[in-house]
Amino acid sequence: METVMPKLDKIINRPLSYERRTESEALFNSMGDGAITTDEFGKITRVNPAAQQILGYKESELIDAWLPKKIIALSFDGNIINLIDRPITKTFLTGKPISAKMYYRRKDGERVPVAVSASPIMLNGKPLGGIEVFRDITLEQEVDRMKSEFISLASHQLRTPLSAIKTYTHMLAEGYMGTLNAAQKKSLNTIVTASNRMNELISTLLNITRIESGTIEMTPKMVHVGAVINEVLPELLIMAEEKRITVTLEVSNTIRNRIRTDPLIVKEVITNLVSNAIKYTPKEGAVEIMVKPRANEILVEVRDSGWGIPAYAQDQIFSKFFRGQNIVKRETNGTGLGLYLVKGLIDVLGGKIWFTSQEAVGTSFFFSLPRSKRPSPAKK
Amino acid sequence: MASSSNATIYDKVVRITHAYLGPAANRFIARQVKNHLHKRPGDLSPADLLSLIDWIRVAVSLLTEDSEVVERYIAELQKLAHSYGRQPGKN
Repeated sequence: METVMPKLDKIINRPLSYERRTESEALFNSMGDGAITTDEFGKITRVNPAAQQILGYKESELIDAWLPKKIIALSFDGNIINLIDRPITKTFLTGKPISAKMYYRRKDGERVPVAVSASPIMLNGKPLGGIEVFRDITLEQEVDRMKSEFISLASHQLRTPLSAIKTYTHMLAEGYMGTLNAAQKKSLNTIVTASNRMNELISTLLNITRIESGTIEMTPKMVHVGAVINEVLPELLIMAEEKRITVTLEVSNTIRNRIRTDPLIVKEVITNLVSNAIKYTPKEGAVEIMVKPRANEILVEVRDSGWGIPAYAQDQIFSKFFRGQNIVKRETNGTGLGLYLVKGLIDVLGGKIWFTSQEAVGTSFFFSLPRSKRPSPAKK
Repeated sequence: MASSSNATIYDKVVRITHAYLGPAANRFIARQVKNHLHKRPGDLSPADLLSLIDWIRVAVSLLTEDSEVVERYIAELQKLAHSYGRQPGKN
């Protein structure tokens, strides 16, 4: 039996292995996405028909070519992406699959927008090469652009009747049209609150479309970050008072807290972060805002004693329309756009944003604003 | 990058790499050790060298088309591994 088993095993495994190879070959060649594999020297070993179609090269023109040189990658602002920043390189530097969106230059010189994912090919723990899978996102980009245009247009159209509603509710509240009784005042307050919320939502949608289309305008000025925060604080304090939440600002009047940045964008960021902190903190809680000057940047922390962000949701917190399940149950108002917008605005300012959070303990959002670095162009 | 008899394996790998990647050598090797071997640079041992060399080969091959340079660099690292009694296939 001992002598027969290895032979049997070989016989059984041979056709299976062949079948699997054939299956793998069929899968690779029939994929709708482009796929390219490389050896350990970055030379192209396999190319599927979809990749040939997207890039406009024949298989024979790609095989054995050095991938980074043959397939030029460009960022959406048209610059050639450094070798070290390409997904296929990053995957070997980080050991993780890497995804990114960029342009690939076709053989005819045209640029095609692609979503690329790269991973190492491993055998028994040893890297043998890499695989890049990419798809043409021309249509997706066009749909995104049309969607943004539509939101922008719809938002503008909504703003016009809304400003009439706001004007007349203000006139009613101020008694220009006679004295109101208690029930009328209560109803009017509801109209004011609802129209304010609608106005905020429209502003958020407009800002998001500006960020996504790269058309947001920056007006940098030399400002004291503490003073900028103080300007938006009174409005936020009204919101906090309703829940008896204390809001404190800790900032020194040092010249080191002065920075060249866009104060309107900073105000938008602070308003979003602090109103979120108030919204997602139970009654009688605390929200602290701290401004800390550092050598090359100013760090702002918004800390709350709120419900916190569950661990499972933390990597999605800056995604569009995302709301944590623990929050949805407690606070029905919200669009899931606030943090997505904040992240986009911080990117425009050339800063960084991150957070730490523990459920039932609280959350701290941190953002940094660079002192000397020029704000980065808006992301497309 | 002065030579020293007290140099760790990590220091020796960085010293070889410095000739090819310049000032980026330390960061490059530190990331390779951390990301692929899940170790701190100071914990790099002779048993890790061949695996580290495999990762370095693919990463550097995507930074330069010149495979001769890559091979020369890898040969130097393999020589270092060999000095610790490590040879490909005998890891």
